[in-house]
Amino acid sequence: MMKRRARFDIWTFVLVAAWVILIALLIWPLSSILRASLIDNETGTFSLIHYIQIATIRAYQRAVGNTLLAGFGGMTGALILGVTLAFVTTRFHIYGRAIIQTLAVVALVSPPFIGAYAWIVLFGASGVVRKGLASIGISIPPLYGAMGVILVFAFKFFPHVFLITSGALASINRSVEEAAESLGVSPMRRLFTITFPLILPAISASALLTFVLSIADFGTPRIIGRDFNVLATEAFNLYGSEVGGNPGMASALSIALIILSMIIVFGQRWVLRKNVYYSNLIKKPERKHVSGLKAAGLHLLAYAIVLVGALPAIIVVLFSFRRTSGPVFQPGVSLQSYERVISTVSEPIWNTLIFSSVAVIAIVITGTLIGYLISRRPGIATGALDAILMVPYVVPGIVMGIAFITRFNEPPLALTGTGLIIILAVFIRRLPYSARSVAAALKQVGPNLEDAAISLGYSPGKAFLKVTVPLILPGIMAGALMSFVTAMNELSSSLVLYVGSTITMPVRIYLAVMDGEYGTASALSTILLTMTVVAVYAAFHLSGRKESALL
Amino acid sequence: MADLKIQGLAKSYKDVRVLESIDLDIASGEFFTLLGPSGCGKTTLLRTIAGFQHQDRGEIIVNGERIDHKPAHKRDIGMVFQDYAVFPHLTVADNVAFGLKARSLPKSEIDARVAEALKMVRLDGYQDRLPAEMSGGQQQRIGLARAMAIRPTLLLMDEPLSNLDAKLRIELREDIRDIQRRLGITTIYVTHDQEEALAVSDRICVMNKGNIEQIGTPFEIYRKPLRRFAATFVGTMNLLPGEIAGGRLSVGSQTISYPSQASGPVEVAIRPENVLLPGMPHQGEIIALTGAVQKVTFLGREAHYTLRTEAGEIIAQVADPSHDFIEMEGRHVDVRLPLQKIVLFGKSGDVIEAGQA
Repeated sequence: MMKRRARFDIWTFVLVAAWVILIALLIWPLSSILRASLIDNETGTFSLIHYIQIATIRAYQRAVGNTLLAGFGGMTGALILGVTLAFVTTRFHIYGRAIIQTLAVVALVSPPFIGAYAWIVLFGASGVVRKGLASIGISIPPLYGAMGVILVFAFKFFPHVFLITSGALASINRSVEEAAESLGVSPMRRLFTITFPLILPAISASALLTFVLSIADFGTPRIIGRDFNVLATEAFNLYGSEVGGNPGMASALSIALIILSMIIVFGQRWVLRKNVYYSNLIKKPERKHVSGLKAAGLHLLAYAIVLVGALPAIIVVLFSFRRTSGPVFQPGVSLQSYERVISTVSEPIWNTLIFSSVAVIAIVITGTLIGYLISRRPGIATGALDAILMVPYVVPGIVMGIAFITRFNEPPLALTGTGLIIILAVFIRRLPYSARSVAAALKQVGPNLEDAAISLGYSPGKAFLKVTVPLILPGIMAGALMSFVTAMNELSSSLVLYVGSTITMPVRIYLAVMDGEYGTASALSTILLTMTVVAVYAAFHLSGRKESALL
Repeated sequence: MADLKIQGLAKSYKDVRVLESIDLDIASGEFFTLLGPSGCGKTTLLRTIAGFQHQDRGEIIVNGERIDHKPAHKRDIGMVFQDYAVFPHLTVADNVAFGLKARSLPKSEIDARVAEALKMVRLDGYQDRLPAEMSGGQQQRIGLARAMAIRPTLLLMDEPLSNLDAKLRIELREDIRDIQRRLGITTIYVTHDQEEALAVSDRICVMNKGNIEQIGTPFEIYRKPLRRFAATFVGTMNLLPGEIAGGRLSVGSQTISYPSQASGPVEVAIRPENVLLPGMPHQGEIIALTGAVQKVTFLGREAHYTLRTEAGEIIAQVADPSHDFIEMEGRHVDVRLPLQKIVLFGKSGDVIEAGQA
């Protein structure tokens, strides 16, 4: 084709560059992990010893079991909370839907380890709520271990489920449900035989997401898990341990973690192999008005879910203004935590802003070009590129961190200890999201618009700039801001990659929590949360107030 | 104004030949329609003329000048799309001005042409609206105004009405035809809707599987189909198995003389409105059959009878049916097929011409 021939060179260049980036920053580092996992630490020869040890040593068996428990527990909890909230808010008239959505978004964007920390403040060994209840004679166990981890995951990740499934619930054709009703199916049965099967794609997609997020999470089991070891914490300990360390074992556990995620990804595809329903939306579902006890119950349910979800963020903000004496909170209000942050630990704030900004600029440019390639230049090389882009979805941050530090430790790419390595880790982890969202946005635009511009006398390049770019720009900007949010909140890979001078806010907060400096942790968390909320608000605004932009 | 000549145009996708060897000659100011089922190659042909796709072989000549080596944006061809392709981020006026800006016309000229184009499609007063606030029919009017504003040498329309509802479709197709006549712009129109093609076209080109089946005026296509495909695709056609041998045509148990050299099995084709029921006057020779009325479908200004005859099923159309005509279900009636309204198709699908009587 004429126009294809004319632009052949530039897009070939982009394709080659994309492959170079993915090989250098994804395949090559990850191959080091695979290699290390297959080599005996002492003899340096090929061996399956680490995998045999995972299967035979009790601590590792427990880590695998606990990872699955955390994954399925977090997923189940998030699904129950998220689907319930989605159903209540899309099918019943609830006052203050905007408040509910805002609180859900606050829960979504606050980093998970802040949640873990806030739950300790409330329900830990010397937690505020626990102590309060003890003073009136009610004794509850401190919230550590498996239960604590699952609870934190459920309340942290349910907004993902909520946002994905409310979209699906709102687009079910009401006539389908009415048809079921006219055939004599009770409303409760209808829910399970019609409504849920129709939104199965959304439910399974959010189940996949929450499972992968749960098993990849490092901060939560580390802070609140106590002796609840999971693969992510185990890998980190073995890798970073000051007494020796066991890189081979850490790598094998990382591979196990990736395999678990992949099994779930393929499982979800299998569940969905036939369940793709297309329906012409004729009648939108309506929100039923209810009154009396039922209305009160529904409101209570909805608000309880989002308030508990947003509680960690609220607690952190409140506690940041409390007076402290060393690690201990004192009665009274004070700005001393902030003063301490500004005077002693302002470096992480600047590092976070600089690293995130650089990463996001790189992500947006690369992601837009790759996204265009995927949606407009189909071919074998682009198809494979699209498939490889799935990989970062299933590689936990801690694994990516370990992979980077093993590969980029010596010349020619001695990047260890630089800010660049932290930026690159965030870049490769977030790149697929950006490329995919640009590809999706481009599919919405439709090539006919560009054809129309061409028939009116614009060259293909000009048509792209004049028509397509303005149309996808809000999407790109919203995606960029969401990448910025994730970049700012990135803990796990940064924790492996940071050195003293490249410490970021999440790492500093994590260290503060581990050292018991709760005042500092609260103040830093509040600053991080504020920056996050500003970015989210801007993204929300740019995307035309679509909640889906926040995923 | 421009005439268009296409010679030996062929195109394949991998192993599939989408266009065999297409030859067309379209006169200046003509409204020319490409009609055919989906997958017949009509859209590929249109997009190749526009320059969005490139032929493997053949030439496209406008006003004596080959244009097929030119990129799409230099061909000066206006295009109207099935999905409107109206730019959603631009106002109605900016949409229409879009192509004029590419031509760097002075602002006063652009404003004048935009106003003129919008008036032509009856959208004056809407210039500051965004497309999202407008109906499908209005959006397609924007698309039409936008394509016409650049005063193209050719206007191409790719199923412009197929996303609209029935009433709007008829209204807009009348407007398109009126505007085209008034401006005298050479127009190539693609549709799969045979009624639409009959209503608007100067000439119709019936296509099937990448080939041209027949080119002719709407009257010729409907009344004098040259191929079985054109006969059945345009309108309803009864087809009865028959046999021709030694100047005699047999249908069912009936045999009448039919002046033709051909021999062998044939298909006897007749339109429902030409089938005669009792009480209808006729002239000339007929094939006389009897049939049982299986079903009567009342459509208001006409009724359709489904008749089972010895020769096969026949649909007959009765204009302005009266009450007793409607209550005929189950009865046996005489069915007569006037010979001068019959068309015969041979095994190859080509028409068998009647010889001299």
